[in-house]
Amino acid sequence: MSSIPDAIANQDKTYLLEKANRRKRFSLWFYGLCVAIAFVSVIILIVLMISIWSQGSSRLTSDLILNSHSELEIEKSGMWPAIMGSLFVCGTCAAVALPLGVGTAVFLEEFQPTHRVLRLLHGFVQLNISNLAGVPSIVYGLLGLTVFVYMFNIFGQIRVNESAGWEIMGYKNYYQVLTLEPGHVVFVPQTDATVRETSFDEPFQAVDPASGQSFEIAIWTPGTPKPTAPEDRRVTVRAGVRGTTITETSWYYFRLPFDKSFLSGGLTLALVILPVIIIASQESLRGVPSSLREASMGLGATTWQTVRDVSLPAALPGIMTGSILAMGRAIGEAAPILVVMGAAVAKSTGPKHLMDNAVTMPVLIYNWAGRQQDEFKELSAAAIIVLLVILLVMNSTAIYIRQKVQKSQT
Amino acid sequence: MALPKALQNRDFRSTQAGAFSERLIVVSLACCALATVLITIGIIYMLISQSAGFFNSESVTLKGFLTDPEWTALQSKELDHAKFGIMPLLSGTFRVTIIAMIIAMPLGLVTAIYLSEFASSRIRSWLKPTLEIIAGVPTVVLGYFAILVISPSLQLVSDGSFSTFNATSAGIAVGILCLPMICSLSEDAMRAVPRSLREGAYGLGCTPFETSVKVVVPAALSGIISAFLLAFSRAVGETMVVALAAGTLPTMTLNPTQQAQTMTGFIVEMIKSESEYGTVQYYSLYAVAITLFAITFLMTLGGQIIRKRFQESYQ
Repeated sequence: MSSIPDAIANQDKTYLLEKANRRKRFSLWFYGLCVAIAFVSVIILIVLMISIWSQGSSRLTSDLILNSHSELEIEKSGMWPAIMGSLFVCGTCAAVALPLGVGTAVFLEEFQPTHRVLRLLHGFVQLNISNLAGVPSIVYGLLGLTVFVYMFNIFGQIRVNESAGWEIMGYKNYYQVLTLEPGHVVFVPQTDATVRETSFDEPFQAVDPASGQSFEIAIWTPGTPKPTAPEDRRVTVRAGVRGTTITETSWYYFRLPFDKSFLSGGLTLALVILPVIIIASQESLRGVPSSLREASMGLGATTWQTVRDVSLPAALPGIMTGSILAMGRAIGEAAPILVVMGAAVAKSTGPKHLMDNAVTMPVLIYNWAGRQQDEFKELSAAAIIVLLVILLVMNSTAIYIRQKVQKSQT
Repeated sequence: MALPKALQNRDFRSTQAGAFSERLIVVSLACCALATVLITIGIIYMLISQSAGFFNSESVTLKGFLTDPEWTALQSKELDHAKFGIMPLLSGTFRVTIIAMIIAMPLGLVTAIYLSEFASSRIRSWLKPTLEIIAGVPTVVLGYFAILVISPSLQLVSDGSFSTFNATSAGIAVGILCLPMICSLSEDAMRAVPRSLREGAYGLGCTPFETSVKVVVPAALSGIISAFLLAFSRAVGETMVVALAAGTLPTMTLNPTQQAQTMTGFIVEMIKSESEYGTVQYYSLYAVAITLFAITFLMTLGGQIIRKRFQESYQ
């Protein structure tokens, strides 16, 4: 017969009840604490938004969007070059990182090797990617500085008026020569790029910088009568006039090393977000049911055909969501850009050619935020609002895609 | 039954061409994957070869680098007077990081417990996006927040004993930055704990507090610790917040109210000073970066190993 053991039957009931109540009360307190702490993050976000809005909303004018940074007219400073710069840098970054990242993810997920050594290599690449994701972005910045900006100094250093590295295409060197007409210059095509400066004593062929027409230039020696008519003075130069090198660049101007150009910046950012894109794409590919792949294989498709026509289309929404989020990170990333392209913000246009420097939005915000003048601090807050709005649009696109897919899958 | 035409004629050329292009594609995809390995090799080669330029210089010794209590690469223009001791930068980095962890660890963990154990799906559906938004805020914005709000409020609360740029305000901002990361990683770990463990605990008469803290958290401990380590390495490598809010003076104290230049902060200041390529000061960038890389790499690797090795698997 089973009777209740003494140890349990003779327990102090009131003590037990009290203990149980204490434990229940404690648990309730803990629940309250959890709720309170969980809402701390909400409060942080609200305080952040309100403080930045109150600081920057008065500066949200068309000047902010359309003008460029100006030290003299602080009131009218704007961020147009920074918006363009961010666009170019992130465009480069996307063009490099997306194919590379998705390709790597497809290779890791869809082409599982059977050989032991290859499998080891596979695991190594996988481990390597998760380690790369943990490398601080500023170290990528230094990598970009060494590899893209200076290229280990293999091709020489770029200095103003001295050397321009190895120029490969998209440039034309001219000597710039002053004519007798004040303020008017003509360009003389350069034959020997190593001669940076030259002088002219003989009549020569020159090009008009504005129209591009070629014409003969006459020489005027001091002491002889000087031409007076403006059209004559425009085609006459003083004997022995100096011509200094000026370089005209097309948009496809290309040279090594890249120096502090938007191309360096974009490539560096691509390195930063590559692991993020790879991991997101891998997760998305992993979510594709293997029955789909097996069906495709069973119909006689090769692995690549399966990837191209079955797995990738099925995983595309996830890949797109991950990529958009990664691009959002790229737009807001300041540290690597700062290291690669420098902290200067005095630029009045977006990049003109591949090797042109650029300002990006986060760097501009950093520069303005670190200044003493209150105007710049407010401008910085306003620029933050613009940046956050852009990010919000991108993120809501990503969330929209995700929710649409979740709905269609259920 | 007759075979299809293609099979009757044994016309397999197209298959051969297909096999070739298939191989080509696999090789090119493998090249993509190798690019990531190349990046790692590039980072390590760059750090070692460039910091060799620093350690080979006559004014620098490895012992001095590790023990000298002063770092004046930016302050003293002449090389003879410059002192290269990494300790002040390390001290600044760890002051900021520890403050960040004091903020982020409890907040992140408790939020994760709340999200995985208690929150109804309606609260989850907007608390999670809130955390994702905080995670998506650019770091330069948090740095601005630190100098705009956190630092003045600290000064107000403490009657001005905090200097304008101080380790605490930067640390708090970095903590805000790490919070969503700790939260989402620990929550993932806790959600992976099977339901039966919780049901067992409740069946034995545990309260919700005891179930979550004494059963679920220990079961998910490997994931939680790896989340802490990853967040720690993120905080060590964080740049823009400290560049804006922590000040530019390398100090070696334990005082959190003072300026604290961190390793990343120094790199930014050095870049801004546009020091000439090839000088010892320039190469000191890489010496600092290699220290930074070593710390974060060990942390990340440790986090991964702990997660893999000590993961409890429930089958």
